[in-house]
Amino acid sequence: MNELARHRETPLDPVTQEILQGKLLAVVDEMGIVLARCSMSPVVYEVLDFACGICTVAGDLVAQTNGITLFTGTFSAQVRALHNRFAATMAPGDVFITNDPYRGGTHGCDFAVVRPIYDGDAHVGYAITVAHWLDVGGTVPGSLPADATTIFQEGLRLPGVRVMRGDQLVDDIVAIIRENVRLPELALGDLNAQLAAARIAEKRVQEICTKYGRTTLMVVFDGILAASERLARAAVRALPDGCYKASDFIDGDGRTDERIPIQLTVTIAGDEMIFDYTGSSPARAAPINCSRGALHSAVKTIFKAMVTPQAPSNDGWFRPVQVVVPDGTVFSAVKPSPTGWYYEGSAQASELAWKALAPIAPERFSAGSYTSLCATYFCGTLPDGNEFVHIEPQHGGWGATSYRDGASALIAVTDGDTFNYPAELLEAKFPLRIVRHALNIEGGAGAGQWRGGFGVIREYEVLAAGTYLYASFGRSATRPWGLAGGREGSLNYIEVQRPDGTQVRLSRTAYHPLHAGDRVRLVTGGGGGWGSPQDRPAARVRDDIANGYLDPATAASDYGSVARSPEPTSAA
Amino acid sequence: MSYLATDVGGTFTDLVHFDSRSGRISVAKTLTTPDDPSRGVLNAIALGQEEGYVSPGAIDRLVHGGTTVINAITERKGAVTALVTTAGFRDVLEIGRGNRPDLYNLHATSPAAFVPRRLRFEVRERMDARGHAIEDLVLDDLDAIVAECRQANVAAIAIAFLNSYANPLHERMCADALRNRLPGVAVTASHEISRQWREYERTSTAVLNAYVMPVVDRYFDRLEVALGERGFGRPYFAMQSNGGMASFAWARTHPLSLIESGPAGGVSGAAAIGEWLGEPDVLYLDIGGTTAKCGIVHAGSPKLTSEYHLERTRTRPGYPVQLPVVDIVEIGAGGGSIAWFDAGDVLRVGPSSAGAAPGPACYGFGGTAPTVTDAMLVSGVLDPQSFAGGSMRLDRSAAEAALQPIATKLNTSVEGAAGAVLRIAEANMLNALKLVTIQRGHDPRDLTLVASGGGGPMHAARLARELGVRRVVIPPYPGVFSAWGMLVSAPRRDLKRTQLHQADEEAVDIGRTLFAQMQREAAEYFEVEPVDLRCFQAVEMRYRGQEHTVSVPCRLDDWNAAQLISAFHEAHEVAYTFRLDSTAAEVVSFHLKAELITARPTLVAPEAVSPIDETFRARMVDHGPGGQCSTTLYSRDALAPGFTAPGPALIEEPSSTTVVLPGQRVTMDARGLLAIEEQP
Repeated sequence: MNELARHRETPLDPVTQEILQGKLLAVVDEMGIVLARCSMSPVVYEVLDFACGICTVAGDLVAQTNGITLFTGTFSAQVRALHNRFAATMAPGDVFITNDPYRGGTHGCDFAVVRPIYDGDAHVGYAITVAHWLDVGGTVPGSLPADATTIFQEGLRLPGVRVMRGDQLVDDIVAIIRENVRLPELALGDLNAQLAAARIAEKRVQEICTKYGRTTLMVVFDGILAASERLARAAVRALPDGCYKASDFIDGDGRTDERIPIQLTVTIAGDEMIFDYTGSSPARAAPINCSRGALHSAVKTIFKAMVTPQAPSNDGWFRPVQVVVPDGTVFSAVKPSPTGWYYEGSAQASELAWKALAPIAPERFSAGSYTSLCATYFCGTLPDGNEFVHIEPQHGGWGATSYRDGASALIAVTDGDTFNYPAELLEAKFPLRIVRHALNIEGGAGAGQWRGGFGVIREYEVLAAGTYLYASFGRSATRPWGLAGGREGSLNYIEVQRPDGTQVRLSRTAYHPLHAGDRVRLVTGGGGGWGSPQDRPAARVRDDIANGYLDPATAASDYGSVARSPEPTSAA
Repeated sequence: MSYLATDVGGTFTDLVHFDSRSGRISVAKTLTTPDDPSRGVLNAIALGQEEGYVSPGAIDRLVHGGTTVINAITERKGAVTALVTTAGFRDVLEIGRGNRPDLYNLHATSPAAFVPRRLRFEVRERMDARGHAIEDLVLDDLDAIVAECRQANVAAIAIAFLNSYANPLHERMCADALRNRLPGVAVTASHEISRQWREYERTSTAVLNAYVMPVVDRYFDRLEVALGERGFGRPYFAMQSNGGMASFAWARTHPLSLIESGPAGGVSGAAAIGEWLGEPDVLYLDIGGTTAKCGIVHAGSPKLTSEYHLERTRTRPGYPVQLPVVDIVEIGAGGGSIAWFDAGDVLRVGPSSAGAAPGPACYGFGGTAPTVTDAMLVSGVLDPQSFAGGSMRLDRSAAEAALQPIATKLNTSVEGAAGAVLRIAEANMLNALKLVTIQRGHDPRDLTLVASGGGGPMHAARLARELGVRRVVIPPYPGVFSAWGMLVSAPRRDLKRTQLHQADEEAVDIGRTLFAQMQREAAEYFEVEPVDLRCFQAVEMRYRGQEHTVSVPCRLDDWNAAQLISAFHEAHEVAYTFRLDSTAAEVVSFHLKAELITARPTLVAPEAVSPIDETFRARMVDHGPGGQCSTTLYSRDALAPGFTAPGPALIEEPSSTTVVLPGQRVTMDARGLLAIEEQP
């Protein structure tokens, strides 16, 4: 290490630094392409519920794919946990697998595959990929039972074991996976895709070592982290010191519809920020909790949004951040609290930070959004007798900003480059028909000088008996918040209508049997508004009416005299 | 045979003429006339006529390509367009796919729809996924729509019904009705332009096609009239994004298929060069003023993408176009790309560009930002006197002044700064080249790199060495290579049908039927018999459970299901390093590529126009590692087949300069192509 220490004192020329950073980003991109295109799980290839990264030997993330935000902060904790246990016995060709939510992970469905990267015999870093497997066993297909009271109902757990040794699969582990999941072909397909991605990463990093030298690569790792830290500290220093508070509710935990109180105090002091979630509800005996790993991701997502949305992510950015919370809250669940819907807890933790900081950084934050990923599962039997599980996230309305209306039908903060599911693909595969996919105009969005964006309505007709639904729709009682005098947005919900006309309204549901002819309406809410509705220019109100975004009656009640101002003579 | 191609670019309109009897290539360049690009085309043709090589009556084939379509979209200068959808789905166009690639930007939005909500209409009808009508089309619903379109002066209408990829009957009926009732309005039914699934992507494609149809129609009208007046005979061809060409008549109703016609010309040219050299796999690189583009020719054909998006960036989702488009990766690294320091004091190059105005500092048009061209001048690759054939003098002191701040910050000389700018620009280009090769399963060591554009020949030798490609080929007239590529492309159609099925004998039967149908359709389109077509079949396949597919070239007439499945396993392994022999495979869609068999130009050996300069010419050039060294200079028009020389060398011609590094050797072959290889 003497050679490295010497190199570290004389920093690398910035040109080589830039070139190697570009190469590392190309490596994680390549991992992502391999993983997404080979995966068997729709959650991976349609929802992009996966991420790939490269970490230093110390576990610091230096390059990551841009897929979704949920994994912004989980990699380093997972790698460190494995490093601490296995460093002494690790060897080239080893690959580890873990889905333990209490050791930096998220929930049982997210399997991390970690490969130590060797250049010859020297351990130079880690390649890590995590992907959501469609089913990992447990009480329901899809492994996210809404009524779980402990993690033992959420399926198989592998707390960091070798899945490869000397580049050969460890058959015992493969057999355990195969026998404990409902769709082993899919799970092992995804495992293969993740192993391929990690193998590519090691190969590419070895090529970099051969060409530029191992020591150079180590110096580049340091340089990446240090440059980001510098920029992050400068951004925090530019914010006013002080304490910023926010509180909110999580609507229902899966087992009850109770509103669960949560809160946050953000302290800015010099170039450091503390996010303190103390005072939030204790963990629930229900899957809404998240563990520390997911909470760190939630905070880092908002911190990154504030400091530098576009720059590539790495652990350097987050060195000024400290997260405080006692063990055992809804945001710091410990064994055996279930974490199946951790992304719902994580989304609310993100939105608390967003809400606390929006008043001091309006150029980065909007009013409140529909928040919840509104994950929806349809399960049942195909005409050929095979079981099916269809999962899709719902897109919804975002809050207005200080200079324009909110975005309509975008994916929630927990995700990112995440697509909705085409009706034509769905109808070709499953006994379901989509009869409507539209903006949720009737539900409305928060009025304001700038109004919120609209949510969506997806209405399904069920074609086969024996189909059932489970789903987790948050923000079903607490509306998205407005800012600077803007009004609140609207709520998320599910409505099931029987052919006889009877209706039931749902939000988080464990198991809802459906029958042929039932109509299932999935509805997401509109975002909050910005500024007083009285300040909205009349031309915008008229334009919204002309395009059917606003009906005249709502216009009159929301915008009053603005909406009644005289119309110009009709335009061509 | 006498061939003529014109390529309308952002700044210049290029013209290339080729006479297959003499083998002579003639070129002309004029300024593009953005208000009516047909004027620029006619100006270029007039130049050719003045020079005596273009005589209208003697032209056997005229091919036209350019940026008319993409410009109309980028500048939002298309027609007022309406959309008619299945009831319940008029918002699909605005909802899009709802993804946020700019994932940490909490102010992100989806791109604005090309049709405002008040012009998006719904009619009652419904097909299911197998193409059975479960609700008949209610034509009466069109009454109100026709009235509103008249009132809003709608000039184009797109129709996109759910599952029309499986059965287009309702769309066809609706299109017929609207064409009858709204004569003069351009109507595009989605199935006329795509028969693939995914409703948002197909709707977006139909809308964009409708949006540009009136613009392109007017433009081709003017051009056809003017060409006719000048004595040019039909048919005229338009270069398409799939690397083939189409008749003007077809292009007028499918204008969106012209969207990337310039790059498609370049890739076609690279494919033709590969064919002559007996190289089925070619890597293509074009470096212009603002961007570098690269693409792949695989098994003799340009590689196409079915996931093309307009205006897509790392942070913007863009607009999907469900048409086969040459698979091009484009990055902001060209001659005009500006070098700068980011907030973290890291030196970067591009994507912003000094463009043509003010241009690089050394042009002396008032630019002060340091660009790649300035770095090329300071490193000695460009010569202040002989740039652009001596028509423009470069200002070395202005280039040095522009690079000085970088030198100061990096604590080096201006030459050192120039080297740093070039290394970073080339690292960016290299990452793009890797994206189309290594990351898509092509080993660069099997490839020949064809480099074009003003910048391609300057960077190619070093990029090739870094990437490990077998050799570099610099075509004649690299500065007008896209137009040249249009000359050598063939009339072509790509047809695709989505039909999901387990990969078994029944799927093979379905495939045979669909391929036969598509072949008949292609023959009707070209007005020939099927034997006059060269057809290539491919099936897009995947493992059950996967979403994305691998394209498997095949010959279903002779194949059984086992052969198809085994070819799929191999293709999957090549692309993604593994195969799943025990997992069932599925077919998703069938792709027929039909090329008309016609005469195509071929290159003939050039004669040296002027003898090799007797006096040995050389100058000092910085080739990177190893520093400055004396580099021999040649003029390309003085070279003849059989010429060979070791590097370091520079070969100058009016539109570019070819760099040969120390340790490499350059050779001119019988067709006048320059080939650069590493010396053993």
